[in-house]
Amino acid sequence: MAGSARVADGQALTPDGSAPAPGGSRPVAKRGPWRTGLLLASPAIAVFALLFIAPLFMLVYNSFRTQAGAPTLHNYTRFLGDSFYRDVLWHTLWIGALTTLGCLVVGYPFAVYLRGRSPRARNYLSLVLLSPLLISMVTRAYGWLVLLGPKGPIADGFQAMGLEAPKMLYNDTAVVIGMVHVMLAYMVLPLMGSLDRIDPALTPAAKGLGASGWTCFWRITVPLSLPGMLAGSLIVFSLTVSSFVTPAILGGPTVKLMPYFVYTEATSNLNWPYAAAIGFVLIVVTTILTAVYARLLRGRGGKEVFA
Amino acid sequence: MTTAREAETATATEASGASGKPIAAGVGGRARRLLGAVFAALVGLFLLAPVLVTIASSLTTTSYVTFPPKGLTLHWYAELLNRPEFLDSFLLSIGVAAGAAVVSSALGLAAGLAIHRYPFPGKAVLDRLFSSAFAVPTIVLGIGLLQWYAQLGMASSPLTLLLAHLVLTVPYTVRLVLAGLAGLDRSAELAAAGLGAKAPRVFWHVTLPAVRGPLIAGAFFALITSFDDLTIALFVVTTDMQTLPVRIFNYLQYNYDPTVTAVGTVMVLFAAVAVVIIERVVGVAHLFGADPEN
Repeated sequence: MAGSARVADGQALTPDGSAPAPGGSRPVAKRGPWRTGLLLASPAIAVFALLFIAPLFMLVYNSFRTQAGAPTLHNYTRFLGDSFYRDVLWHTLWIGALTTLGCLVVGYPFAVYLRGRSPRARNYLSLVLLSPLLISMVTRAYGWLVLLGPKGPIADGFQAMGLEAPKMLYNDTAVVIGMVHVMLAYMVLPLMGSLDRIDPALTPAAKGLGASGWTCFWRITVPLSLPGMLAGSLIVFSLTVSSFVTPAILGGPTVKLMPYFVYTEATSNLNWPYAAAIGFVLIVVTTILTAVYARLLRGRGGKEVFA
Repeated sequence: MTTAREAETATATEASGASGKPIAAGVGGRARRLLGAVFAALVGLFLLAPVLVTIASSLTTTSYVTFPPKGLTLHWYAELLNRPEFLDSFLLSIGVAAGAAVVSSALGLAAGLAIHRYPFPGKAVLDRLFSSAFAVPTIVLGIGLLQWYAQLGMASSPLTLLLAHLVLTVPYTVRLVLAGLAGLDRSAELAAAGLGAKAPRVFWHVTLPAVRGPLIAGAFFALITSFDDLTIALFVVTTDMQTLPVRIFNYLQYNYDPTVTAVGTVMVLFAAVAVVIIERVVGVAHLFGADPEN
């Protein structure tokens, strides 16, 4: 099958492989008036205008209103003025940072390992890597409930060794484990893309000039894989701080993050304007942080790499 | 002496790891390769553990969830049949998911063709929109849709849920179709046209086969995305119209018995079939490959 062949050559694993730059292979000949294009795109445009743009604009509008509909800044001042909510924000960002770090620590060696494998092995391992994204998040989180629970296999293992099992459920640890599990693929795929783009002749060349293996690794492989690290970290961080289901199930009553408050304000307290404001605080803070992070990493000797 | 050996092992790792050509000789190299394999196996175990545990504990004879399961029984699957609410939820989820799959394939094909080969106003904006859809947290989209539907006076129905799921699935189908079109040799179409084939015929016999794989993969991806979605559904459904993930989520708040693991296993099997089909036609990695835009 043609599809399998395309996967087997390893191309499918590079992040850019599946996203042709718009216009990259645009035909020269114009096939018809622009009306045809607009007509073809119109159903998708309608869906996105009505179900994506419109709801988001209304949400912004609502976040500056009282529940009665009068204009106000109260929803934002309430959030920023209350140390309880500020702590929730810090806690959410902290979980995001820990998850990103966890994904880097597990994902980097894994990506390097995958790089040296045959296309076939890479394909199977990629499937395993992606499997958490493809199964129901409820099932996934429930599996962790069993695994990390006080009567689970891990606790049993501790007991078998005569140790007291640490509390692994309904705390930050559980949430970070659950999040690293889902997010790992988002870190490893861009990393593999970056690693694949490194010229294979660089390392032997550096060795020929007398560099040791570690020098090669730190001076060639790591710097040249920075774009992948950056892309992976950004997506893992943003997706983690906005996750609702996994923290809700694994965090229990003690780990309450921003998305949880968006949910309860909207559904239990029926304070829609406040729910909208919490959501936008989250989006704005995440956007600022990721922009700063991207700038810092780019500034750090990565100019040629990112050019 | 030690330093020399360390350097040598490091070199061996680098050679096997970074240059992409595993080296066969060298004790250090072999040890490192073994270490790498053990590490990869542990990561694999970490990734698969929750699913394996869910499947295994659905077979337990005990009335509580335990791993490893005690005894083997299909009792909890039979129990599912006595639970009309789970069956209803399953049928609702499947119906919405099938609809989302069909509609997002059609929209994705049309929009993909438009973006790939026609100039039209707002094209760049549309392209940007599809990539930014990933960046908006699902939960924010969820409350947005909740408030928007209320504003429009649209009562919760399978249709409103299906429409909401399109926002999640259409960007993926568009991306896949674009990838398929990029691989299509335009001269084949021009040749067909040059030999006298009319435009619909060229489309049917040349263009469509090129994007058939991406379309099938996109459809099945939309199917599982919609089927598994909880975050959007939580805001869009009502108590008497619950999708399967919502049903499980609510059930989990008060219960802790193997019924849920049986439902979970059914969902995993369902997703597995879809994944096998996607893997056959385009490769699963294709779906997630291009996520990081920024």
